[in-house]
Amino acid sequence: MGRGARRVAVWFCLAVVAELSNHATVSAADGTPQNVAEAVTIATELAKATGTTGQAALAAQADRISGIPADWIVPCLAAFSDATPAGGNWLRSGIERAVERAGDSLSADALMAVVADRKQPARVRTLVFGWLKDRDPSRAAGLLDGMLDDPALDLRREAVERKLAAVAAADEATQKAAHRECLAVARDVDQIERVAAWLSEHGEKVNVAEVLGFVRNWRVSEEFDNAKGVGFAKAYPPEAALPARPETEQWKPVASADKHGAIDLNAAIATKKGVLAYAVADVVMPRSGPAEVRIGSPCAVAVWVNGKPAMAHEIYHASEAIDQYVVTAEFREGTNTVMVKCCQNEQTEPWAADWKFQLRVCDPLGSPLATQPAHEKGPE
Amino acid sequence: MIMMTRRLLMVVSVMLWCVAAVAADWPEFLGPRGRGAATDQAIRTHWSEAEGIAWKVDLPGRGASSPIVVGDLVVATASSGASQDQLHILAFDKATGRTVWHRRFWATGRTLAHPTSAVAAGTPASDGKRIVALYSSCDLFCVDLAGRLLWQRNLAVEHPRSGNDVGMGSSPRIVDGTAVVQIDCQGDAFALGVDAATGEDRWIVPREKRASWSSPLPLTTPDYGACVLLQNPRGLNLHRVSDGKMVWSWKGECSGIPMTAESGSMLHVPADGIASVSPKEADAKPAWRSTKLSCGIASPLAWGDSVACINRAGVLCIGDTANGQLRGQIRLAGSFWASPILAGNVILAANKEGKTFLISTEGEPKIIAENELPGTFTATPAVADGNVYLRSESMLWKVAAP
Repeated sequence: MGRGARRVAVWFCLAVVAELSNHATVSAADGTPQNVAEAVTIATELAKATGTTGQAALAAQADRISGIPADWIVPCLAAFSDATPAGGNWLRSGIERAVERAGDSLSADALMAVVADRKQPARVRTLVFGWLKDRDPSRAAGLLDGMLDDPALDLRREAVERKLAAVAAADEATQKAAHRECLAVARDVDQIERVAAWLSEHGEKVNVAEVLGFVRNWRVSEEFDNAKGVGFAKAYPPEAALPARPETEQWKPVASADKHGAIDLNAAIATKKGVLAYAVADVVMPRSGPAEVRIGSPCAVAVWVNGKPAMAHEIYHASEAIDQYVVTAEFREGTNTVMVKCCQNEQTEPWAADWKFQLRVCDPLGSPLATQPAHEKGPE
Repeated sequence: MIMMTRRLLMVVSVMLWCVAAVAADWPEFLGPRGRGAATDQAIRTHWSEAEGIAWKVDLPGRGASSPIVVGDLVVATASSGASQDQLHILAFDKATGRTVWHRRFWATGRTLAHPTSAVAAGTPASDGKRIVALYSSCDLFCVDLAGRLLWQRNLAVEHPRSGNDVGMGSSPRIVDGTAVVQIDCQGDAFALGVDAATGEDRWIVPREKRASWSSPLPLTTPDYGACVLLQNPRGLNLHRVSDGKMVWSWKGECSGIPMTAESGSMLHVPADGIASVSPKEADAKPAWRSTKLSCGIASPLAWGDSVACINRAGVLCIGDTANGQLRGQIRLAGSFWASPILAGNVILAANKEGKTFLISTEGEPKIIAENELPGTFTATPAVADGNVYLRSESMLWKVAAP
């Protein structure tokens, strides 16, 4: 065989391999489920994905889901209910490709039914709402009218925006009523602040800290040593006494007048570095059971509820935000004791000066649950 | 046979096209190998909303990440939702700006970020076959060029105390088939090298529990081959890409945000000014240190025998890489979060307020154009085929080649 012929043979073989590979790809794409039950089974398996190995098989399964017909998409959504963090994204990657392929053949009615069903997981309804908005914006917008109290907070947020936009040109009384209604249902802090500011500008002063339900009345200990961060892991007397309630009679009562309920320990104790302090508050819960403790602080913090450790974050001056750290803790009906340990380090930068925290107790949607007993009431 | 031959010709054509495309890619943060330079490309001098714009597209969410250019695609990332937990990877047709695909994922880690940053702060990286995107939530996704999810790593699930509420800003790299991420924070801090094809661990090394926003810098050394340089405020560590082994380190004050630039086998380290360090001798004394060359947020730019940086006052300074001597400086305007890059012999410096300065590097630095677009710009520009890609908080612009 001459060189030329050999070259042709090599090219021919390459072409055959390419052709076979192509068929293998087609075959994989053709591996779409045979029926809706098989599709749901694959979706359920994908949604359980964990671990870091064998992801090529998951990608292949997502490919199979991406090929399902439009009317199988909604039945597969149920698999999101028990999805792992990774599984949710694997399933989403397959399903959304199926949604893209389906185009207008995906029934808006079926999507509306999913969005309207509050028993479906919030993130699934929000996802489907997005698909609906892409296809039929006016029907999607119409759904928002009944979503002011929706458990899917992204949908509730849009419903609040729509409500406010709808009254933007109305008379002041109508606008005030709409803003009051929105203030009661909004759960996103920026939205609450915007609505509160509008009401305040129109003669109805709103205490944002009260709306957000911050615990504003505390008793604050003396300072303890936290040089080189040694105090965070050290149990000083208030902590060592747990689970007994610390003796707080000698502690300094501190009430927050901050709009975000912050307790400023620089002001309450002294502007110091390398120190820590404890703060204790009694809160009244309407019922026993789990509730979310939500704390924000630029400092290292630990929290106890009724003497039991709830959370600890040894992070210094890496931003602060309302509800920065959230943990679920058990509360009893009536009075409960919350103790916070707030640690300042020795950083000298101007932005590391803050020594403070803010805390509230909420349900999973961010609705405040805790009130404070009469003897703890501070300034309004 | 005719069909097969045709198909084969198509395959060969596509392959040739791919080779041509790779040559003009801007595949990662600060371009090829993170050097910030496209010295072979001439760009348009003047542009505005009304002039020189090939296309612009709205983005579905916020981001401080730079666009990258891979073959026929311009890829951008974003995050959206009230809690910024919707993560987006978008691919646009380079020629038209049409959306080719759009993938969305849920964040599995923390999504708090300072308003000046974003959950989509790290620039994606591509090896020409796949794209990896790392978010502040410590989610790492890998998709192919068709937008198909190949693998994911939910690093905050694997390492629950990883992350930073200021917002993580490090960009991933793909070096020799290994995707490298740097997770520097006060909690679970580590560097990870994963097989870019499978997403499986190749190596993981613990890092000091200290926040930084620096990105791995690919370096190839005669002794150790392909490596990545990792920087935090306490110094530099050079790790071999094949197994993660630390092969060199340097202890010294470093900035937490701007990353080191390399030229002529020297590392120009943003610190209190710039220190020029040789990556050969452990903890070597810097060859020079200059406080006149000072970096703010933006990373320094090194090319040829020059190094440039923009200080917090918005002054661009250019120095000599041999001795650190200041060659020239010029006051720009505004604040600079985006790093300066080089196109041809012109430095592009995009300020946060939307003005991109073009500065001549011939002789004394001189502003040759100030081009303004609306929006807030913290992402470093990308350059490919003489086109400039600028990403504002909510929009992606393509400035047409001259």
